[in-house]
Amino acid sequence: MQFTDTIQTLPETERIPGPMSLEPILKTENLWKLYHAGKVDVPALRGVNLAVLPGESLAIMGPSGCGKSSLLYLIGGLAQASRGRVLVDGNDLSTMSDAERTKLRRHKIGFVFQRFNLLPTLSAEGNIAIAQHLHGDGFDPHRFDVVTKMLGLEGRLKHKPSELSGGEQQRVAIARAIINEPKILLADEPTGNLDTKNSEIVLAMLRQLNKDMGQTIVMITHNPEAAAYFDRIVHMRDGVIVDGVPTD
Amino acid sequence: MMGHLVYRNLLHRPLRTLIGMTAVAVEVALVVLIVGLTSGLLTETAKRIEGIGADIMLQPPAASIFLGFSGSPMPIKIADKLREMKYVQSVSPALLQFSSSGGVDVLYGIDRDSFRAVSSGFVFLEGRDMQGPDDLLVDDWAAKAKHIKLGDKFRILEHEWNVVGIVEHGKGARLFVPLATLQDLVGARDKASIFLVKCTRPEHTGDVTEQIRHILPGYTIRPLKDFLSLMTSTNIPGLEGFINAMIALAVAIGLLVIFLSMYTTVIERTRDIGVLKSLGADKGFIIRALLAESAMLCCAGIVLGVGLSYGLRAAFLAAFPTLSILITAGWLLKAAAIALVGALFGASYPAWMASRKDPVDALLYD
Ligand SMILES: Nc1ncnc2c1ncn2[C@@H]1O[C@H](COP(=O)(O)OP(=O)(O)O)[C@@H](O)[C@H]1O
Ligand SMILES: [Mg+2]
Repeated sequence: MQFTDTIQTLPETERIPGPMSLEPILKTENLWKLYHAGKVDVPALRGVNLAVLPGESLAIMGPSGCGKSSLLYLIGGLAQASRGRVLVDGNDLSTMSDAERTKLRRHKIGFVFQRFNLLPTLSAEGNIAIAQHLHGDGFDPHRFDVVTKMLGLEGRLKHKPSELSGGEQQRVAIARAIINEPKILLADEPTGNLDTKNSEIVLAMLRQLNKDMGQTIVMITHNPEAAAYFDRIVHMRDGVIVDGVPTD
Repeated sequence: MMGHLVYRNLLHRPLRTLIGMTAVAVEVALVVLIVGLTSGLLTETAKRIEGIGADIMLQPPAASIFLGFSGSPMPIKIADKLREMKYVQSVSPALLQFSSSGGVDVLYGIDRDSFRAVSSGFVFLEGRDMQGPDDLLVDDWAAKAKHIKLGDKFRILEHEWNVVGIVEHGKGARLFVPLATLQDLVGARDKASIFLVKCTRPEHTGDVTEQIRHILPGYTIRPLKDFLSLMTSTNIPGLEGFINAMIALAVAIGLLVIFLSMYTTVIERTRDIGVLKSLGADKGFIIRALLAESAMLCCAGIVLGVGLSYGLRAAFLAAFPTLSILITAGWLLKAAAIALVGALFGASYPAWMASRKDPVDALLYD
């Protein structure tokens, strides 16, 4: 991973995007996260170095409590690092204010969670549309149709989350996460609450997103079979990455 | 889109929304009815006093415009002095007695002939003018409210009166008895609470006022023409404060219920707030969404409250026909504005609290 050191952060407009670019879309440098539990500091991350190239799909595996979710929250700008840097599409999150990280998240990050986390009062359609609204460009019917068709949600859009199966809810959550074409899709055990059949559907869709549309994906999983759907797998233990060798 | 989210959120917990709306409705109705009742009562009383038809009313020093509560009576001889004045056509003394048995009433003890001279006289709907010492005249509203009929015996001030006439309302009081009888009854022989003065022409009111002021310095002299403008809550000691206190109380109810409702909403939706933040919603969005929710709830409550005000007024007027409750567009708007400000204020702390939630903690909340 030596090449990453020479890369300079250029303004977005001056860079050539696309899967051929060698510049990581996402990079962490010696990333630390400490939680304060009473008077003691609990280190969840202890110097994570990670680089993800545009168009790459990466699975992060590791035992419970090793810091996977913490890493994802830092990458997505939901939390502030204790030490080290996170670079998303050339932007250094560690130097950004809360409001700036929120804005970055709005434009460049999509989240998918284990618990689906759909807004219970809105229909499937409303859950996807609110992401478009928050993005700021308003409702884009064309993009909406493309995404909902791709995820097979056409018949289910008027339903509330409580009226959808787990698999359907997670597909709505994926639609919501990608509706604004984020640079990076972050998924935290997206199949953790699904049965085998629905897990396979969701994983196949994530892979399709990556292969057909070049969506960069970072996914956390416990499950080696799930991880196998992805280009590259890294393993974490006790707050550090214990390998990082590309699988291909 | 935010409107849709807010609307859906309100529908999600219909009972909580209904309770919040009801609290706002009660707040609005309380404000509208308290103000409406006092201003209705004042306007109606003022109109009745104006309607006597006299030009000037003389009262003892420092007398209240609430006539029933006027201070110690004046010697009746004053009437003679007034009659001697230039431009004075007629003078009528009246003794006012406040009675609280079976409702609040002001009884006018009047001298039949001079009262007829200063006023344009009663319009008799039934019966005749008073002749005997125990005769009682009742106006149509009081007759309806108290179910008094012509020829009835009516007890007030521990005295039995004969109802000899039903007169049209609008002549000062609702109940009239002979002056002498009332003076004896209340132990105020040769006394009067007010003198009503009729000038030869209305334009002479100022002149006559000057003359009275000259011989009776310190006495309260009121031209009846602008009695209506005097009868406002600001002119009645304590009333303004009382109304304001009642409004504050009503606002406190609305504010506390909205606060509690939004506070529980924010706690209940902790994870949703985390989700919105993960989607890139900033603090402003969260605050706006919750304030909008409170405002929407409040607006529904205001509509309900306006309906409630008219409904309660109708019910009160059916039960108490002599009441007068004035609902004005101005006060409906004011009550609505007060409620809206209260609702935004009540929601502001919960909204602020929500906007500050840590997104990761919020996402992990069950
Ligand atoms: N908010 C928190 N406060 C204190 N400790 C935390 C907090 N969140 C996570 N941790 C701790 O940090 C470590 C890593 O947690 P996490 O990132 O959730 O791991 P994983 O997702 O791999 O299970 C664990 O030991 C966990 O107990
Ligand atoms: Mg986790």
